[in-house]
Amino acid sequence: MSVRLRQLGVLPFGGWPATAIAVIGVGIYLFPIYWMLISGLKDSAEIFANPPTFVPRAPSLAAFEYVFVRENVLRYLRNSLTIAIPVTMLTLILGAMGAYAMSRLRNRLVDFAIVIVLLLQVFPEALLATPMFIIFRSLELLNTFAAVILATTSKTLAFALVILRPMFRQVPFELEEASFVDGCTRLQTFRLVVLPLMKVPLIVVGTLCFVQAYGQFVYGLTLLSQQELQPATVGIYSFVGAEYADWHRVMAFSSIFVLPILAIFLAMQRRIVSGLTAGGAQMTKISVFRRFERCA
Amino acid sequence: MPGSPSALLYVFLALPILYLLGFVGFPIVYNLMMSVQEVNLGNITEFIRPFVGLDNYRTVIADESFQKVLVNTLLFVGCNVLAQVAIGLAVALFFAQDFPGAGFMRGLLLCSWMLPALVVGALWKWIFATEYGVANYVLSALHLIGSPIHWLSDPAVALTSVTLANIWFGMPFSMILIAAALTAIPKEHYEAASLDGAGSTARFWYITLPALKPALLAVACLVTIYTMRAFDLIFAMTQGGPLDASNVLPLLSYQFSFKQFDFGTGSAMGSFAFLIVFGVALLYVRTLKQETAS
Repeated sequence: MSVRLRQLGVLPFGGWPATAIAVIGVGIYLFPIYWMLISGLKDSAEIFANPPTFVPRAPSLAAFEYVFVRENVLRYLRNSLTIAIPVTMLTLILGAMGAYAMSRLRNRLVDFAIVIVLLLQVFPEALLATPMFIIFRSLELLNTFAAVILATTSKTLAFALVILRPMFRQVPFELEEASFVDGCTRLQTFRLVVLPLMKVPLIVVGTLCFVQAYGQFVYGLTLLSQQELQPATVGIYSFVGAEYADWHRVMAFSSIFVLPILAIFLAMQRRIVSGLTAGGAQMTKISVFRRFERCA
Repeated sequence: MPGSPSALLYVFLALPILYLLGFVGFPIVYNLMMSVQEVNLGNITEFIRPFVGLDNYRTVIADESFQKVLVNTLLFVGCNVLAQVAIGLAVALFFAQDFPGAGFMRGLLLCSWMLPALVVGALWKWIFATEYGVANYVLSALHLIGSPIHWLSDPAVALTSVTLANIWFGMPFSMILIAAALTAIPKEHYEAASLDGAGSTARFWYITLPALKPALLAVACLVTIYTMRAFDLIFAMTQGGPLDASNVLPLLSYQFSFKQFDFGTGSAMGSFAFLIVFGVALLYVRTLKQETAS
């Protein structure tokens, strides 16, 4: 038994037995995702078989082919990406600027700004949908990607600011001072010194914002009534909403939609988890109200 | 600030804050404005609309579906918070032990949290299908149920079903936040307690739990806030039905606005939801403040 186990040890096991329990537990927990992926591989007879088959008897790509040809999955995916990519860029640009300023300025105004961000990130989109609809209608932006992009960014931006601010504080101030001494302006310092150092955190936060924007539903449903423009979430919804859903096809559609996200997540798992633990720890223990000592 | 002037920093600060005020702050104010006006499809884009005072609020409070849905919302959020914090804590404690693959498998759990809420809703609708759903099959194969449960069409069960799905969806995020807080507990505390002869239960009650208390409170606030957003998931699973059995406030407000085009009542309903979320947000900010002060 290791020292760590004895310290935290609330449960009476560790080592390989714990690994075995974890494998089984995680397997059961993630079973729904497995079920989604293999349901898409079944045909219309097998999907309604009783008892259900846990390994597809005759895996076929027919359902995938159907949704590609008949349900225009590619168009939906393209729409989702057309929304998610600009949202991510806009969020990262505004988020990096704001988080950098929040990490470097030290006064009541900044404290106030942080509280504003914390408060503004809590409102459910469903409640903002009506005013958003009216605003974009008067701006004559309904049924444009711009409307959904602007609306979605308001959600991802607050999240990015909360997570990025503590990360920007980790950039040593001495580096910036050195670049000032070398004659860099603040903007140059930000671009040439700070941002390169923040590359990994920005990628992690960008990924999380991308995932949120890619799966965004409410604004796509409300602000885009033209089917040609709707994102994949709305496409899946109209598919599920049908009285008798073709579940293997719905699951094939869902699988195609989420596979990129799962692939990105698995590839970046360690970074995302450590980014979330670092940033997330700040969400439960934010040093918002402590003045920034370094620049004093 | 030594050296360079910080004017640029103020520009950097102003841009995102103005963006948020414009696209979140203004809609909230606009929503409040609509809640005291008569808004219909005819005058929706006009700025000046008939002022009706608190009439919309009276309509909302007298509405039976609102009363039912308010109770649903409190139940849905309450159960989610309790379950996500309790299960999240248990899972975080389990993975805090030293065993091969602990970090990797803990991370893997986040897969469910990465999925779009709408897809999670669609997926659980399929799992909970009465006749062909895998949930009923597994439960009856284990002899836990005699006849199939009508997960989504039985008004007595629908709220439980969407709650279960949402717990599955959100738990890993709570777990990761709690795990982060766990690692911040100084190891010396455990060593000292062990020397004093404290068993694992005692260490949990007297060291782990008190040290985690502020973090658990913050997580509870965050879960409340995120659970109030569960629109997509419920929309995909039941649309709030049957008979509003699984409906929650934000969804009901949306339905009033976009299904019945009763924007005034929808906005007034939204105000109630805003109030709940705003109250929790204030509690959240206060929790963080105390945490920093201590």
